[in-house]
Amino acid sequence: MSYTILDQAPPLNFRQRWNHYLLVIFALLGVLLGTNLKNSNLFSTSIYSNPEAGIRAEYPSNWLIDASGDYVFRLRNTTEIGYKTTFQVTVRPVSPQTTSRAILDSLTLNRAQILAAYKILGITSPFFLPDETEGTAMSYTYADSDNDPFLESVPVVVRGIDVLVIKRGQAIIITYLSDAQTFEQNYIFFNKFLASLEF
Amino acid sequence: MTMLYRLTKVVVVFASLLVILNSSHAQDASLDIERLERATVFILQANNVGNELIVTCAGTGTIVSRDGLVLANAHDTVQSSTCPGETLIIALSVRLDEPPIAQYRAEIAQSDPGLDLALLRITRELDGRLIDSSALSLPFVELADSSTVSLDETVTVVGYPGIGNDPVSVVRGTVNGFVVEPRGSDAAWMKTSAVIPGMMSGGGAYNRLGQLIGIPTTTPLSTSSTCLPIQDTNRDRLVNSDDVCIPIGGVINSLRPSNFARPLLRGASLGLQVKDLVSNTILTPLESSSAPVFKRLFFSPAVNEAGMPASVIRTLPAGTNSLYLFFDYENFTPETIYELRVTTNGIPNPTFSLAPVRWSGGSRGQWYIGSSGQPWPNGIYEFTLFANGVAAPTARLVIGESDTSAPSFSDIVFGLLDLRGNPLGNGYVLPSGNTASARFIFRNMENGLDWTAIWYLNGTEFTRTNAVWNEGTDGSTTTSIESQTGLPPGSYRLELYVTNRLLATSDFTIAGAQQGALPEVFANLRFTTANTPEEALTAVSISNFSEQVPTLYALFDWQQIAPGTLWTIRWLVDGEQFYERTIPWSAPDSGKNYLSVLSSSGAVPDGTYTIEILLNNLLLASAQAQVGIGQLPIDRFAQASGVLMRGQIRDANTNLGIPGVTVILLNEEFSVSDFDWNNNKVFALATTDTNGNFQVDRPLRYSTKDQPVAYSAIIIANGYLPITADGIEVTTATANPLSTILYLSKD
Repeated sequence: MSYTILDQAPPLNFRQRWNHYLLVIFALLGVLLGTNLKNSNLFSTSIYSNPEAGIRAEYPSNWLIDASGDYVFRLRNTTEIGYKTTFQVTVRPVSPQTTSRAILDSLTLNRAQILAAYKILGITSPFFLPDETEGTAMSYTYADSDNDPFLESVPVVVRGIDVLVIKRGQAIIITYLSDAQTFEQNYIFFNKFLASLEF
Repeated sequence: MTMLYRLTKVVVVFASLLVILNSSHAQDASLDIERLERATVFILQANNVGNELIVTCAGTGTIVSRDGLVLANAHDTVQSSTCPGETLIIALSVRLDEPPIAQYRAEIAQSDPGLDLALLRITRELDGRLIDSSALSLPFVELADSSTVSLDETVTVVGYPGIGNDPVSVVRGTVNGFVVEPRGSDAAWMKTSAVIPGMMSGGGAYNRLGQLIGIPTTTPLSTSSTCLPIQDTNRDRLVNSDDVCIPIGGVINSLRPSNFARPLLRGASLGLQVKDLVSNTILTPLESSSAPVFKRLFFSPAVNEAGMPASVIRTLPAGTNSLYLFFDYENFTPETIYELRVTTNGIPNPTFSLAPVRWSGGSRGQWYIGSSGQPWPNGIYEFTLFANGVAAPTARLVIGESDTSAPSFSDIVFGLLDLRGNPLGNGYVLPSGNTASARFIFRNMENGLDWTAIWYLNGTEFTRTNAVWNEGTDGSTTTSIESQTGLPPGSYRLELYVTNRLLATSDFTIAGAQQGALPEVFANLRFTTANTPEEALTAVSISNFSEQVPTLYALFDWQQIAPGTLWTIRWLVDGEQFYERTIPWSAPDSGKNYLSVLSSSGAVPDGTYTIEILLNNLLLASAQAQVGIGQLPIDRFAQASGVLMRGQIRDANTNLGIPGVTVILLNEEFSVSDFDWNNNKVFALATTDTNGNFQVDRPLRYSTKDQPVAYSAIIIANGYLPITADGIEVTTATANPLSTILYLSKD
């Protein structure tokens, strides 16, 4: 028996060629669909509305919402491994004489008593919200550890921002807290949250 | 359903968890020793000297609320001459087989030095940072109704046996007796057969349900043999007797019933504080600097409702199960340490002895210690009392050879006589007037015997009657005192003798104006609220406060009370007592607007508040007021019993624990499909630690046929497939704590 070795593969016929094209197209579609689904899941939002406080906001779905504390509401990304990225909206009464600085100082004095290694990183004034509302932003850091004394938890360095806006005789404090290592990465969610916030 | 669920469509039932849930561990499931051990803390009292903390005292305590209230002894926590430290450090057993680790700082929330009980509130981290108590979720124990404890009941005592070097320890025994004193009705102390090391004083004694029935208590005497130096406090590079010595105490066999702690716990949990004022001046009890002394020791077979002896005896028949040693005391303070040693036929009898404990009575008066409902074997008993280690004369009694034919007097009752010669009134508090009478029962008397009645006023003989008996053999009769100028208000005593032998004695009080046969001592008892005590004096009386108030004032007027008369003031909320104080009267004889001020750290909580005023254990005045809805709010975190759920979450590929994963346990009303990421549907949240371990900070309620309780759980971590489960039930057969290992697979 003898064999002939061809230098080139035989040319693909029409059907084979379109099979390859379709495979590539379906693969691309699959990737696009997957990316789209992932993004829609990642960036899907729920709506929080509190007519009493006059606040409405969109926040990432699957974030745990809590309105039982001394804040209007708090959102935590409990699916996150490690420190749970948190958004919080607090309202405080102010007088006509109250300055932004006085409110931030009050926050600082209270936090310095309860948070470990609390340190102000900087105060930005004016700070403009996405809708051009003018406010003041204070960034800070502290070490957070689990409250349960029976677990072995290493403290996490947390970075935070308070955006303070004085409006309608009250101070609205929008807080963003995140693990310092993922602060920039998660900031996109906070920006979206700020953009959706109506008060 | 959330998008994530629709996307993943992965629902992995807790197969391993359910296997464990259904496994039977019927070994006395209700006594969860580990929970009790975790709730037991080691307390260090320390003094700041320069930059150093010098430990001054140490003891055990027990966490009694999830937000950090710790029940402990007062002698080693509240500042005193023997324990002068101002800082309290709370150490927990993070690992139960290791010594405790200092975690928190605490402050005194409520205390009763005489009862030797204190409630501490954890307020700071060890580094001094303030703690939001609502964020604390500590293991805690429930208080049992200690009045239901019976003889021979098994007790489990938990505490720290050493000064910080030993892990938490468990000692078992039985209740082998009850000690009765004027303060505490049926049992002021429970005696136990358990041999409890002195450092476990302040810990917890538990029943079979794991509820706190008593606090093992002893107070160390200030002697070098009962203390240990542990630090080089004088910096001479030696730890010896020249350094600060930590009192350790001897072996404990007495438990202070947990019912004594209830008022403190109720007051502390509501943040309530009571201050007594007269004309806006804070009253301070009279105190003496002289050495404490015991006087006039005698025995009685019974005590009446006013705390008075039925009769005076020297012998008792066989089969006796009730005996009380009465005595007078002077110059006592809450820091006085007293002890009773009993011997039977010369052999020490620990069952009826009382180890050194703090004094829970006033500064002077009459007291008794004894027991009822407990058989006293035949023999010759010798009772010796000690005050601060100094012995008083011994009292002797024979049980088993009673002379039933000897004359006896008993059951003295005081009052004003009606036309038929019967005493009228409440028996032991008489109104001011010219006369007071006593009726008593006599037995085995013979006409012609010499008998004597001696009346005392405030400890001094007032009048004496010597007479020849002519009333017959058995019956009852009366004797009286009269004064044309009137009997002054004060504390009176009657002693009845036959042939110079004391047969009966009793005390009574004359106070107040006469209203028929009854005294009107306290009047116009009312409530009000105001910004200041001065404003309260003129504020209108209110019995229904529709809104919460920052301060509640109770005011009353009084008349004809002699200084030094012991009186009691009590506050209750929703029928539960949270404050009681028995002190000598130190205001003028008569006056208006005695102020008792109730305040709270915030506003006075909603509830029905009652104030009661007593003299000689007799209720003379009370008033009630409603605040808000008239009922205390329900604490949904008050449940201590149940199953502790904990475990580890591991990566299925690496088998290593995953740190920082959140375990969400839903309230029993909701299933996983109901969950919309709203916190009000969450029963508890737990986050894994560095090793992937988690612990749910609230116990799971037991599910029963009548009341099924099923929880749902969700574990979702970015990068892993989620795990969800419905129908998680625990029963008394479930292992407690419930430990499980769960594996997460990468998505």
